Amino acid sequence: MKKYMTLAKMQARAVLAYRLNFVLSLFALMFQLFAMLAIWGVLLGSGQNLNGFDWAHMKAYLLVGFLCGALVSQSADWRMAGRIQDGMVAIDLTKPVDYQKAQFATVVGGAWTEVVTALAVCAGVIAWTGAVPTPGWQGAALFALSLLAVLPLKFLIVYVSALACFYTQNYLGVHWARLVIVSLFSGALVPLSFFPEWVQQLAAVLPFASMSATPALIWIGQLRGAQALLMIAAQFGWVVALWLAARLIFRHAIKRVTIHGG
Amino acid sequence: MPIIEASGLTKTFRRPDKREGLGGSIAHLFTRRFTDHVAVDHVDLTVEPGEAVAYVGPNGAGKSTTVKLLTGILVPSSGEVRVAGVVPHRERTANARQIGVLFGQRTQLWWDLPVRESLALLRDLYDVTDADYRARLAEFDHILGIGELLPVVARKLSLGQRMRADLAAALLHRPRVVYLDEPTIGLDIAVKDRVRAFLRELCADGTTLMLTTHDLGDIEDVCQRIVIIDEGRIIFDGSIAQVKDSFARQRQLHVDFTQTVPRAKLAELLPGAEIEGDARAFTIGFDRFTHTAAEVMTALLAAGEVADFRLDEPAIEDVIRRVYAGDLDLAA
Repeated sequence: MKKYMTLAKMQARAVLAYRLNFVLSLFALMFQLFAMLAIWGVLLGSGQNLNGFDWAHMKAYLLVGFLCGALVSQSADWRMAGRIQDGMVAIDLTKPVDYQKAQFATVVGGAWTEVVTALAVCAGVIAWTGAVPTPGWQGAALFALSLLAVLPLKFLIVYVSALACFYTQNYLGVHWARLVIVSLFSGALVPLSFFPEWVQQLAAVLPFASMSATPALIWIGQLRGAQALLMIAAQFGWVVALWLAARLIFRHAIKRVTIHGG
Repeated sequence: MPIIEASGLTKTFRRPDKREGLGGSIAHLFTRRFTDHVAVDHVDLTVEPGEAVAYVGPNGAGKSTTVKLLTGILVPSSGEVRVAGVVPHRERTANARQIGVLFGQRTQLWWDLPVRESLALLRDLYDVTDADYRARLAEFDHILGIGELLPVVARKLSLGQRMRADLAAALLHRPRVVYLDEPTIGLDIAVKDRVRAFLRELCADGTTLMLTTHDLGDIEDVCQRIVIIDEGRIIFDGSIAQVKDSFARQRQLHVDFTQTVPRAKLAELLPGAEIEGDARAFTIGFDRFTHTAAEVMTALLAAGEVADFRLDEPAIEDVIRRVYAGDLDLAA
């Protein structure tokens, strides 16, 4: 365990070297947030209520979505893929650590900058557009628990997509495909209740809603009590399932390692 | 009991077969054709503890693929491999504990952190005790002079400094088997000598060394045994002294006379020697097992007054160069 803690601490320091890179990569996400805020502001700004969302709740929903989107974003993503692509994975594989756990430790270590920056952006939005509703202590506890599951979940989705680099040279394609699927089915941009029935049904059996919609709905109080607990259980269920699936994929991928040129 | 045992070790890569140009690339989308490329072809290798083996071959011969098979990075297509009783690709982490690896072209240092941090991480990864860690650092400082590098961010190191720090990183946990890929690349001569002396010491202490290198100085200074691989197959495996005795027998004596000496006269005095040059400057090639340098010198002095001379010893380098060029078949 100590070795993974050290790895996390190392990455927590190393990410500081990529401040600018990280802030730039966050810009894309911020523009997305601002665009969504602008659209929903127009739709709900004059006191309307759509599918149970008024303007203040929608804002809170989008901000939670933004926070979840910032976790394990660009830098961790490209770092994991890049190490496989340029063959640095060879060095990682000669270390007496479990590859998946080591990658997770590094992601956890680097996550603090993502949280800090995302919270700063949220604070800015609130200062600018006014307060958002807050859940009671019970809702806040459930929210914290739900948010805790988002980190490993996002890690696993990103990790599995990075493993695609063992099979394809074109990580950009994998990256974009993942972004599109995740932003649609996680409900980070548009709450899933706004989609047609079949999309909602599909989203219900996919892991992506657990990465954003669940904590966001808990925050604004649309998911409460037993129902919220059930959804949180689903989140952790996905963590376990994806963790095991990633192991299987890795076991297959590792047979395909072809590191040429030294 | 050998520490490295490989038999019939084979690794085949599948390479996409694309025809020329855009058309070829598009055609490949529909009819995917691949050719199998055998990078390592039925390699048999046994290494005893404490041996220093030079593993050499021209570019693309399969050197680093073999090392990656032995370190557990690659899974062999067929064949058996065991390192200190462990099958590397099956028990990767168990294998990782007992080996040290240096890929000269890549660094395992954390690029954005001081060297000290990378080494401290390795201490934790390999469960090295604090006392042992400090002792090791002192040792590395003495031999590799890494003390001054510890507070420096890895990104800011020169190639030579980086290599020294990387060597320390690879050897920190006192591995039983060490694989070094081009360990002296980019080092200046003084540091090179220190690194080689350090490697010799390591071997004397019972560490097994496997060196892949193009630097023939590394081979002669550090290793007792040489394994030559070409096109995935081992074409020679034996002691360096043996290679020299069998194939590096030709010494060359360069001589300048004070006055013109006819070439025919030299040929007469030195039967069996290869004589090149004319007038006053000659190069005499002779087998060090059939003539001594003194015999050749005596003959030259009989031919005329010698102004200057220089003797070239045969080097393993020449042998390997001839093998790579296809002029010499060591197996024959």
